[in-house]
Amino acid sequence: MSQYRVSGRGRVDTSRPVSFTFDGKTFTGAQGDTVASALLANGVHLMGRSFKYHRPRGPVAAGSEEPNALIGTRRGAGRFEPNTRATVQEIWDGLQTNSQNKYPSLKFDVGAVNDAAYMLFSAGFYYKTFMWPRSFWDKVYEPFIRGAAGLGVSPTEEDPDHYASRNMHCDVLIVGAGPSGLAAARAAAVEGLKVVLVDESPEAGGTLLSEPQVKIDGKPAWDWLAAEVEALKALGVKIMTRTTAIAYYHQNMVGLCEKLTDHLATLPADTPRERLWRVRAGQVVLAQGALEKPLVFHGNDRPGVMLAGSAQTYLNRYGVLVGTRPVVVTSHDSAWYAAFDLADAGAKVQAIVDIREGVHEALLTEARARGIPVKLSHTATATSGRLRVSKIRVNPVRGGQVGSGTEIDCDAVLMSGGWTPSLHLFSHTKGSLAWNDDLTTFLPEKTPEDCVIAGASRGLWGVEAALRDGAEKGREVVAALGKSGASVAYAVADDRTGTGVSMKELPTDRSPGKAKAFVDYQNDVTAKDLRLAVREGMRSIEHVKRYTTNGMATDQGKMSNINGLNIASDALGKKQPQVGLTTFRPPYTPTTFGAFAGYHRGSHFEVTRKTRIDEWAAQHGAAFEPVGQWRRAWYFPKAGESMDDAVRRECAATRESLGIFDASTLGKIEVVGPDAVEFMNRMYTNPWTKLGVGRCRYGLLCGDDGFIRDDGVIGRMGQDRFHVTTTTGGAARVLNMMEDYLQTEWPDLNVWLTSTTEQWATVALNGPNAAKLLAPLVEGVELTEEAFPHMSCVECTVAGMPARLFRVSFTGEIGFEVNVPAPMGRQLWETLWDAGQQYGITPYGTETMHVLRAEKGYIIVGQDTDGTVTPFDAGMGWAVGKAKPDFVGKRGLARPDLVAKGRKQLVGLLSEDGSKLEEGAQIVFDPKQPIPMKMVGHVTSSYDVGTTGRPIALALVEGGHDRLGEIVHIPMPDRTIAAKITGTVFFDPENARLKI
Amino acid sequence: MNAPISSFASGPLVETSAARVSQSAPCGRLSLRARGDLAPFEAVLGLSLGGPIGARATAGETESIRLGPDEWMLHCPVEAVAGLEAALAPLYGSHPHSLVDVSGRETSFVIEGPRASELLTMGCPRDIETILPGSGRRTVFDGVTVILWRDAADRFRMDLWHSFAPHLLHLLETGSRELAAESL
Repeated sequence: MSQYRVSGRGRVDTSRPVSFTFDGKTFTGAQGDTVASALLANGVHLMGRSFKYHRPRGPVAAGSEEPNALIGTRRGAGRFEPNTRATVQEIWDGLQTNSQNKYPSLKFDVGAVNDAAYMLFSAGFYYKTFMWPRSFWDKVYEPFIRGAAGLGVSPTEEDPDHYASRNMHCDVLIVGAGPSGLAAARAAAVEGLKVVLVDESPEAGGTLLSEPQVKIDGKPAWDWLAAEVEALKALGVKIMTRTTAIAYYHQNMVGLCEKLTDHLATLPADTPRERLWRVRAGQVVLAQGALEKPLVFHGNDRPGVMLAGSAQTYLNRYGVLVGTRPVVVTSHDSAWYAAFDLADAGAKVQAIVDIREGVHEALLTEARARGIPVKLSHTATATSGRLRVSKIRVNPVRGGQVGSGTEIDCDAVLMSGGWTPSLHLFSHTKGSLAWNDDLTTFLPEKTPEDCVIAGASRGLWGVEAALRDGAEKGREVVAALGKSGASVAYAVADDRTGTGVSMKELPTDRSPGKAKAFVDYQNDVTAKDLRLAVREGMRSIEHVKRYTTNGMATDQGKMSNINGLNIASDALGKKQPQVGLTTFRPPYTPTTFGAFAGYHRGSHFEVTRKTRIDEWAAQHGAAFEPVGQWRRAWYFPKAGESMDDAVRRECAATRESLGIFDASTLGKIEVVGPDAVEFMNRMYTNPWTKLGVGRCRYGLLCGDDGFIRDDGVIGRMGQDRFHVTTTTGGAARVLNMMEDYLQTEWPDLNVWLTSTTEQWATVALNGPNAAKLLAPLVEGVELTEEAFPHMSCVECTVAGMPARLFRVSFTGEIGFEVNVPAPMGRQLWETLWDAGQQYGITPYGTETMHVLRAEKGYIIVGQDTDGTVTPFDAGMGWAVGKAKPDFVGKRGLARPDLVAKGRKQLVGLLSEDGSKLEEGAQIVFDPKQPIPMKMVGHVTSSYDVGTTGRPIALALVEGGHDRLGEIVHIPMPDRTIAAKITGTVFFDPENARLKI
Repeated sequence: MNAPISSFASGPLVETSAARVSQSAPCGRLSLRARGDLAPFEAVLGLSLGGPIGARATAGETESIRLGPDEWMLHCPVEAVAGLEAALAPLYGSHPHSLVDVSGRETSFVIEGPRASELLTMGCPRDIETILPGSGRRTVFDGVTVILWRDAADRFRMDLWHSFAPHLLHLLETGSRELAAESL
């Protein structure tokens, strides 16, 4: 065992050695170690290089707030993660880790020249340096910034892990399993409430894990803790460890990220790496404790300089001495106890340096008993040592004057600038904070959520105070949930209470302008950067933060915010609350994308809906395209055919004889009730009152702004019953819009809506032979022009199946849509397929459907319209019932800008050179005008195959309806194409082909 | 997860020590919408339509669940659909309502086993424990609207539209394996 591992201390199991690698070298730690504690036990403090200056860095903390010791971890093939906190990652046999931001090696890094050139890299460096010349931006500045940005290397392999998510409901969620969290859990659990207690650590206990000397109810802390955890479990409390409450959302929903496998050498089958919990809690208790603040002085970032409380944690929890000759520098009593603990574990504490002029006599007595020299009213002004601290320079301060310095040899510096209550989740609730002058920190005030905050996270100090407050807050939430609990008292002995003062940067006898006194370790922000920002005009902490990047690293300023605020407010000569605090945002600690994605990756990324005929299409070689959530047959290529070949053949076959098309994805809504026709009149632009039963009509739906939202053919199946169809992608949206109007605007209407999209399988037959094919199969109606004209609908039987038959056409040919109950869809399709062989029946997909409808000038909502097109713009004023008293969009359509001249209107375009135009291409009137040209519209649909013998296009063009026959121009990268404006119907304008 | 539902094997679709998922036999499904006096409907159906949202009733082979103030889902044998339609139609004049056959729209999964309710927490934000055995809810699972019928503490039926079935089954399968791998 190394000289740094203290036998008999810590909760790690030294009888179970664990080997892992760091930068290729094998190290041995103990079961229960983190990477940081194991490396420290091996005397290694240097774990990385800093972001901007490439300064050597080691761990400054022992928990998730660590800003320095960020490493890469490899947990086997494909499982690489950058920026893992070495203080959090548990070790296991075979774990591979590496340091970051160094080249060629951690100990000799050429990037460290930035450190020597630090005067160049001051606050606002990027803003000042990369201003000019403009031409340097693309080739020089941006690549430089991108090269320098970010810490660590992104993984290159696909993540082989999987991720999970669950919802959970409980009466009380407690965040933090330290003394106050444990006490709150007991208070709620004894009342029979459903309690969930979460902690980011591998085990519950919080500060008790670092304070084994405390006695609670007569038991040593760890014995009490073990018994209490068991007792809480027996009371039904769900205790979740390695689980971070990452965010507090509205109405008491808290996001938890549970890490399940990162600490395991062997991955269990079917177990996700992480699980995101969405917890809806009746009451939330925030018991996140407090985080220690560093002191700000020159060289406070050198490896070996760390927080005193963290050193105490390394000793008491991990059995590791962070140094054998430490110096303690502090402005808070807590660091004195760290010194005593290290001394008692065999370290030779070189000195306790306290900024304060006086401390409690008991501390002096304890220090004296251990032979530790004490220097009160002293400041630290520098450290030295290349890759690890070897000396610290301390100076007396008398009446504001800093005296001459003395150097003290050491191998570690333990600092404490006091403690900051952890208010992150409280801040997520939009809770208000109040500045407390005595504690020089913000404390929680009010929150709009059903939430209380307990213990050190509201500024209380000591185990007894935390237990008492936890029990009290626990009773508060019990009462809020309608129960009453008895008060519980805890008898605590050997507690370490104390006080301290909060500092700006420490006084120094040297030029403050040259001090590298770090405030934000992760972003390399120094005290002088903050003062410079103020000198350059930044007044609000929000501006100071952005100018300097203080608190903007992934640790979100857990250590730097209050120090930064103290310095900025001193520079501004204002009190801290006048300067303000920046807002904490979720997540509390960095969280993987995998945790947020959960199950939604790979084949489960998004729903893929398929029709009952999809399988037939796949068996017949269809190519598919996604339309909304559906996958639809796009075209059916035969061997050797390109898409264009196949579409041309499908178009021709349909126009010449018979095409069959799966239209099942069309949205369908059954509108039923005595007020059905009134509802239809109000909803759609068209009039419906005079539509007879058994007839159908093309319906156009607008938003209240007057712009086209959806369209579809609607059949009147009965006096009070309509069969509405919508676009494929619009089905859910249209139903929601209708329900919205029905429930909020017209609750008086006696009508109900039912989605029947998936009730029916819909097969469209189009072509001159469509009626011939269908007639022998239909019972209940004669398919003649007289008995069943175009735009008719009927309930009948088709091939023995109950059906709703529509005579409609989206191709310009004789057309039918046969709806049968969905489970019969495949059978209907195959029956028609077999019977249609005599007509050379040809299956076609969405592409042919698009071409054939474009040839007839039928619009596709969402392609030829974009949410700014009115029925009149689209040339469909005929679909607007002008005599109707009202309909959705009527007022909108009367707005001055919607009736103004020069609106973009839908027209046909035929290129002069016979080439196919590009969809989305912009249109200009005069191609010779100077650039930037005035764009007057764009091509919405364009096809170069089809049955008209030439490419056709639809376009929106300013004043297009008054420009028929005019030439417009489409500038392309290589040339400008001239095109003639035409009507939108390119094929059979007389509709002669619709007749049987 | 691209296998269509028609290719689902018969028997359990998923079976682990935590949960078992199977597809229930096809049945008739009718969406009933009505307001006001429910007694005439209850008389025809022979079951109670009252009670809170989520309340269920059974008469012979017909089952109902109340989904909203004016909305019920009725399940019955496939061959009984036409009879129910015919029986309710005469009420329309005096008691306007909407009755729509959605038998073809939906299918149901039976989800049962010791951890069936936990399995549902993977996709359903609602507190499953507040759906008492013998009641049900319309809710969402993995972002898809479903109706949950809780038939027993450890047995549920999930009604869903056909085209969503493969996607939801995939999560039920992943989740069942995940739960089975957990040490409790």
